[in-house]
Amino acid sequence: MSVFANYTDEQTFARIVDYKNVSEMWRRSVEEFPSSIALVDDGNNITYQQLDEEVSKMRAALAEKGIVAGDMVGVFIPNSAAFVKTFLAVTTLGAVAVLLPPHLDAMTVFGCSMKFSLKALVYSVALAEKTAFAAEKNPRLAMIEDTASSDAIVPAVDVDPSAPCTVLFTGGTTGRSKGALLSQRALMRGTKNGCYGIREVFGQKYLLVLPLTHVFGLVRNLLTSLCTGSTLFICRNNKDMFRDIAVFKPTIMVLVPALAEMALNLSKQFGRNMLGPEMKTIICGASTVPPYLVTEYDKFGVTLLAGYGLTESANLVSGNPESLKKPSSVGFFYDGMEYKIVDGELWRKGPNMMDGYIGDPAENEAAYEDGWFKTGDLVRLDEEGYLYITGRKKEVIVLPSGENISPAEYEAKFSELDVVQDSLIYEQDGLLVLQVFPRAVVLNKIDVEDKEGYLRAKIDEINESLPSFARVNKVIVRTVDFIRSPSMKILRKENANDQN
Amino acid sequence: MTRTEITEKLKDVFQMAAGKTYDESKYDESSNLTTDLGLNSVGILYCVIAIEEFFGIRFEDVGFGDFKTVGDTIDYIEKKLAE
Repeated sequence: MSVFANYTDEQTFARIVDYKNVSEMWRRSVEEFPSSIALVDDGNNITYQQLDEEVSKMRAALAEKGIVAGDMVGVFIPNSAAFVKTFLAVTTLGAVAVLLPPHLDAMTVFGCSMKFSLKALVYSVALAEKTAFAAEKNPRLAMIEDTASSDAIVPAVDVDPSAPCTVLFTGGTTGRSKGALLSQRALMRGTKNGCYGIREVFGQKYLLVLPLTHVFGLVRNLLTSLCTGSTLFICRNNKDMFRDIAVFKPTIMVLVPALAEMALNLSKQFGRNMLGPEMKTIICGASTVPPYLVTEYDKFGVTLLAGYGLTESANLVSGNPESLKKPSSVGFFYDGMEYKIVDGELWRKGPNMMDGYIGDPAENEAAYEDGWFKTGDLVRLDEEGYLYITGRKKEVIVLPSGENISPAEYEAKFSELDVVQDSLIYEQDGLLVLQVFPRAVVLNKIDVEDKEGYLRAKIDEINESLPSFARVNKVIVRTVDFIRSPSMKILRKENANDQN
Repeated sequence: MTRTEITEKLKDVFQMAAGKTYDESKYDESSNLTTDLGLNSVGILYCVIAIEEFFGIRFEDVGFGDFKTVGDTIDYIEKKLAE
């Protein structure tokens, strides 16, 4: 018997089931909750039945463009009902939804269209400017606006559970983001795991603030909401989240620790519970959850449940239904997880695991051993089976906002400057720090008195051009070269400790 | 509200937003929000929400990333208060 059976009643537990694919899950939700509100977006209440009608029209529009099961379809839409409709239309057609984060620039959108052999790109008018380059340079790419609709009847397809379902981006170790390919089975298992640990999981009111292109937003927030007949209010701009809370009165939120901490600090600054009296549960994860959040939220009558997940495992690996008892643990493994701990590192197999990074043989080679996925996370289990994350092995920085960034990806941007010889990015006290070693031969030839000022201005320009979550907070200009290995590789830890 | 009053009120907001990395000696109108005050993307979101609440104004569709310094932020608040 699953340990999670202890945290809800028998009837609710029995309703949490495994679905073969998105089509089966969605069909069952529409049958069971037709007149319940599935989404609240931009002032509109959309029932499960109405959303299904929209999904059918989009599915038919895709089919008319020649999209069939197995095709790769880019989805380039900000959080909105249009995103949800498109995601369901693509995946219930058996095609693969490649979720492109809205902050990507035009070149990267084009690059993704080539790398993932996209057959179509469904885009929002708000992002149209960034799709023009791909449309021009990749004539094989069908461009479809997210308002596309057709009245033809194209039924949902029941693809095999092992069929590819979605591609999500995650920080890479070789300097570029990677695309993790998740099957229908993996996504549905992740969704099922998301239902555990809460007494009342059906018919909840969720407020969405996380990006739907991030696994935590997509699986634990959107899909868990849809498979439990819950209502999802889409907060269009996070600065309005507390106004939205006052109107919608959510009962549950899925938050990264930084946002949970922000809501707590705002509540302290304004002397009132900003999350509202109806809020009962916060699901918190995607980066390390500070234990004090659990006890502080308990004072407001809110249960904060910490969990642990990875993009590569369709999000959920473990969840802690007893957060007050063990606030620094990420809880119990969900059922069906195969794992082993090798030199402290967690290795994984099982139905919720990805089928590899698309088009990245080098990354796959590094990520797997004997069929096991090496998570890069250092863990320990206590005598009661509670899991703890003790550190990281990977060169990926997980920011408090939950964003995964590959330092190499952004170091390359700074190293492109002719006045920079080498650069290094690391995290310290929640801030991103950049160290650079100037290329003196170039810098000395530049006709300015304040050489360091010139260099810093150039660095600032690059910094401002990065997505806001990836901007560095502190710049250290080194006076001596980086500490290096015998093969001249920059040693990350040693240099971070030596700020000369 | 005078510019000095806005500056003082804003200090509390930035301090809460930046948390333990806040360095008061670096707080003046020329301070860069990201590199001097150490605000990350969530810190910036905190500021937007708190400024709207404290000053009773609404940010239009400007990303807070459009402001580089404390001075830029004060300019915007002054402009909105005058409307």
